[in-house]
Amino acid sequence: MPPRLPALATLCRAAAPTSSPLLSFLLPSTQARHASILGDLRDVPSAYNKRIRRGRGPSSGKGKTSGRGHKGQKQHGKVPVRFQGGQTPQDIVKGVRGFENLFSVEMSKVNLNRIQDWIDQGRLDPTKPITVKELAESRCLHGVKDGVKVLARGKEDLKTPINLLVSRASVAAIEAIEAAGGTVTTRYYTKQSIKRLLKSESESSFTPLSQTFSKAEAASLTGSAGAAMPFTYRLPDPTSRKDLEYYRDPAHRGYLSHMLGKGQGPSLFFKAPGLGVKKRVKKVGADQAAEKNRLW
Amino acid sequence: MATKGLQGLSKSLGLLRLSTGSRDPLTHCLAPSISRSMATVTSLPSHHASAFEYSSSQSTQTNNVITTPNVLTTIYKFPTMEPVQFQEYSSKYLRLPLRRDLLHRAVVFEGDGSRQGTASSKTRWMVHGAKRKIRPQKGTGSARLGSRQSPMLRGGGKSFGPHPRDFSTELPRKMYDLAWRTALSYRYRKGELIICEDGMDIKYPKEVQDSAKFQPSYLAEMFLYNHWGKSNGKSLIITNEYRPSLFEPMEKVREHGRARIGAEIDVKDLLTLSRIIIEKSALEQMLREHQSDLVPR
Repeated sequence: MPPRLPALATLCRAAAPTSSPLLSFLLPSTQARHASILGDLRDVPSAYNKRIRRGRGPSSGKGKTSGRGHKGQKQHGKVPVRFQGGQTPQDIVKGVRGFENLFSVEMSKVNLNRIQDWIDQGRLDPTKPITVKELAESRCLHGVKDGVKVLARGKEDLKTPINLLVSRASVAAIEAIEAAGGTVTTRYYTKQSIKRLLKSESESSFTPLSQTFSKAEAASLTGSAGAAMPFTYRLPDPTSRKDLEYYRDPAHRGYLSHMLGKGQGPSLFFKAPGLGVKKRVKKVGADQAAEKNRLW
Repeated sequence: MATKGLQGLSKSLGLLRLSTGSRDPLTHCLAPSISRSMATVTSLPSHHASAFEYSSSQSTQTNNVITTPNVLTTIYKFPTMEPVQFQEYSSKYLRLPLRRDLLHRAVVFEGDGSRQGTASSKTRWMVHGAKRKIRPQKGTGSARLGSRQSPMLRGGGKSFGPHPRDFSTELPRKMYDLAWRTALSYRYRKGELIICEDGMDIKYPKEVQDSAKFQPSYLAEMFLYNHWGKSNGKSLIITNEYRPSLFEPMEKVREHGRARIGAEIDVKDLLTLSRIIIEKSALEQMLREHQSDLVPR
């Protein structure tokens, strides 16, 4: 057998089959039935359920009592779902207790050993900032609830310096990341903004809303709409005092911590000592008052 | 020019090697209808355009992206069926695997949506007339009867008759669009999708143009010549807009096929007749409207 030449073989393979179909259509047309595919369409077999035929003999499995059991109202008719034979229904005896806090936030947790594991597998790129978007898209997180909190489990595994942008970070996690030479920034996210972030409708950035331009503003600045801003929405800033205080806090590595003046604390309630504006009220002396009150 | 033509040829040959099916794309492109002679092969022009190439830019981050091959089609000049150019379409548009279940769901969905649901019958309370007792309760020797409108009586109301309702069902948009392209792919694979240049219309010879009664037979003759007619199954002509000189005589030769504008077409239409002769822009409009599973919203 002569050695095979791959290049020649491909050429031959390309040329050879052309002959037969060409011939077939040179032949005089034979009568063919033009059956439409419409008659042969069907859904997958599992899309259809077989009808249960009740009361059709013992071999059907639903023969004698037709699946209704023996005797009583249930056999002959229907009984209300919550009815317990006249006893006070359970949903009245044991009613709903407690409430759902609509204002609570549920954070998706991600641990440091998992992040390191993802980096080792090549699923996260440590040279670029690792944000909520990257975590979700690499399936490090299976869906994001109201935000992402970084926790410190397996902090001794973390060796790579990373640049992290998440909603919250635990004290130990911040410590571990910075010990490895990385940085953490926490940023305010809402459920809606995370949705838009994952749909690439807004940019995953460290910049607060107050420092970004809207689409219209950017267009007027650059003179061309669209090209300057590929994103439809901007990420929001917090408005509630609690959130503002969290992200103003340098201890949380908040993205608003640059707003703090010198010596200022993150709290919006307590002023920093020595910084409040003092109103000097002149004490009115007794003799001056007497002078004022004098009529003649 | 010649080298370009060769490129096109070799490209189609390359596609041939990729294709696993028994059909040869080259002959497929050259001969959508078996009436064309081989003489046209030499005069193939070489404008080689491509459209609807599905860009996988989002997935290029991963290293081993297998680029999906495009399929090659030939664009014809309409009445003469002279090949004009090659056109590539992404295999996500014209080379999808046949999914009978999807097509079934799409066709049923369309059928449900097109049901009028206006059937209406009268209950005993709607039937005209007094509700008086028609005969005494006792003493007549015949059955007890109440009102004349009783469903039991002739002329009475209907107990569980039809009433106007909406039969339409729901199908996810992405599923429907996939079914649509599956139908086109099925046609393409069988060589039953004949794409023509824009402005598909017929220019009749002068003596036919003058008397409108000859136009249908002229059209029928053209269908028979191209093996599109009754004996080869009917054909569906799809254009972008209404062309009176094509559509009006076509209505008179319904045994050979139909002519429709692209906006009137649904999946069932694509599958019903034996082949589709479609204007290029109409095809592309269809593909553009039915790609929701490929492009982000």
